[in-house]
Amino acid sequence: MDPEKAQAYFRLRTTLIFIYLGIGVLVSYMVVLFAESLSSFSVMGIPLPYYMGSQGAVITFIVLLFFNAAISDVIDRKFGLIPKDKNTDRDNNAVNQ
Amino acid sequence: MDAQFMVSLALIVATFGLYIGIAIYNKARATSDFYVASRGVPPVFNGMAIGADWMSAASFIGMAGTIMVLGYDGLAYIMGWTGGYLLLTFLLAPQLRKYGRYTVPEFIGDRYRSNTARLIAAVATIIISFTYSVGQLSGSGVVIGRLLEVNTVIGTLIGVVLIAFYSALGGMKGITWTQVAQYLVLIIAYLIPVIFMSLQLTQNPMPWLSYGDVISEMRVLDQELGISEYVVPFTENTKWQFIALMFTLMAGTAGLPHVIVRFYTVATMKAARWSGAWALLFIGLLYLSAPAYAAFSRFILMTEVAGSSLNNLPAWTQAWVDTGRLSLADSNSDGVLQWTELVISNDIVVMATPEIAGLGIFVIGLMAAGAMAAALSTAGGLMIAISAALSHDIYFRSINPQASEEKRLFVGRLSIVLATIAAGLIALNPPGAITQIVAWAFALASGSFFPALLLGVWWKRANGPGVIAGMITGLSVTLGYIFAAKYGGFTILGIIDTGAGVFGATAAILANIIVSLMTSPPSQQTQDEVTDLRYPEQIEYKDGEYWLKEDAK
Repeated sequence: MDPEKAQAYFRLRTTLIFIYLGIGVLVSYMVVLFAESLSSFSVMGIPLPYYMGSQGAVITFIVLLFFNAAISDVIDRKFGLIPKDKNTDRDNNAVNQ
Repeated sequence: MDAQFMVSLALIVATFGLYIGIAIYNKARATSDFYVASRGVPPVFNGMAIGADWMSAASFIGMAGTIMVLGYDGLAYIMGWTGGYLLLTFLLAPQLRKYGRYTVPEFIGDRYRSNTARLIAAVATIIISFTYSVGQLSGSGVVIGRLLEVNTVIGTLIGVVLIAFYSALGGMKGITWTQVAQYLVLIIAYLIPVIFMSLQLTQNPMPWLSYGDVISEMRVLDQELGISEYVVPFTENTKWQFIALMFTLMAGTAGLPHVIVRFYTVATMKAARWSGAWALLFIGLLYLSAPAYAAFSRFILMTEVAGSSLNNLPAWTQAWVDTGRLSLADSNSDGVLQWTELVISNDIVVMATPEIAGLGIFVIGLMAAGAMAAALSTAGGLMIAISAALSHDIYFRSINPQASEEKRLFVGRLSIVLATIAAGLIALNPPGAITQIVAWAFALASGSFFPALLLGVWWKRANGPGVIAGMITGLSVTLGYIFAAKYGGFTILGIIDTGAGVFGATAAILANIIVSLMTSPPSQQTQDEVTDLRYPEQIEYKDGEYWLKEDAK
């Protein structure tokens, strides 16, 4: 297999993971770090830092994980990397020829 | 024998019968069944099993109570315990799955080419899982003791017998499907009371949307009473303790051997990613409800219990006062119970709330069955991790490599029984509250496994001497800080024992990097293996070239 393509795959996946982790840090550590000044904002009648801690961060984490799983599948398919038992043999064979 | 006792007993016996039936039906027949359930568990069900494995007595019984008592400062548990799944699913699980071993110590031993590292990792697995299971058994002792109206000691012993029986019988395969059933029992048990309370208090069946109104009302009450406000940050601990605890729980989550091993039970890296996502969704159902639970409980206690005459308290209070976990002292002798005179233990809030809210005997019994499912499922997973470390990493890989499958299964089962009994003996007189004991286990995992796995997967240059130095340093710093903070009153930036992981992990990463750089790099073959982990199963990296595998699975 072409090393350039394999390395491009790794770079793309790593960049995305950095972005996801960055968002994760933003909604948790950053909100805690600036909790006092963010307390004047509120969501559903709850001060923003409390809302983020009790629901906002968790919902963001869940969305990030599903987003990552779905996008990773798309990337794998784009690079012709589909597990053989998933009835997509044609894609794999095409790449192998 | 009152009706409550009969209903609780019937529900507990029925659910236990279900778990044991599933365990017998899936009795392990081969070593790979025993450790990794033949690697064929679909991601959605694996997600539920991870959820049950993960949500322990600390999540089910302790967390809402901790938030109720600490207010905003308790939310570090919510964000830490869920955020760990980002680290786990993005940085570790798929790569560890590709490496394809049975246990975490085996990965460390083979990746770092070091028997010493494997033995240290096996010992660390045993220490961490053992600490964690003491918390679980003490939790199950409280629940069984309260519900069967027997002494906590007898309750703990009943828990020990049940756990030893079904984990030894089924192994990982039995545990997987048992845990799916346990997840369903515990989540139903957790959601029903919180939905009913939401209906009672706000006429809205969606607690996640309605608890904002309750919080607004409580803010007014807090100000009237002049007590520390529920939603105001850092009233109980410093900001740095909040951040340190959150980090400890996140890194610990990513390094817990019994959780990581669940990602070995799926077929591919892709399935590992989806398992992580489903797991956090199922876990999120409980974690998103816990703050609502805490708010409703505190509101009911503030408005319906506080302020009533001491001679006229609801009937449920007496049973909990008897357990020593609720104290109602009329310190100013005016015959009325003030809010400040009511001291409720973190660990009983969830169990007592259905009674506080008058939800009826069926819901209370269901709650007990759910709490037991949470404690037993986690303890079961922990016992598998301990047994794998003893029978696979220590006995088979180091002592007797010629051992037959039967012999290894026998050693595995024997170690489960012995470990459960030993943990049960300590749980008879637990050294702390459930969430506290569990937080120590997380601190130890974040000081030992998290750095070893993170660098093992992402840094080719990390080598055997580095990981040995890292794990020993991390464990010593974490243990040292826990003892110094708990018994010596030593703190840095107000960080107490539960936040010790931040120091352990930092020390371990530094030690690993420094010692690795001072010693010779790993062989080219090892470095190639680490590069190989960057790619899905279809790509194999070897001798500087990329190979596309046709029959990849």
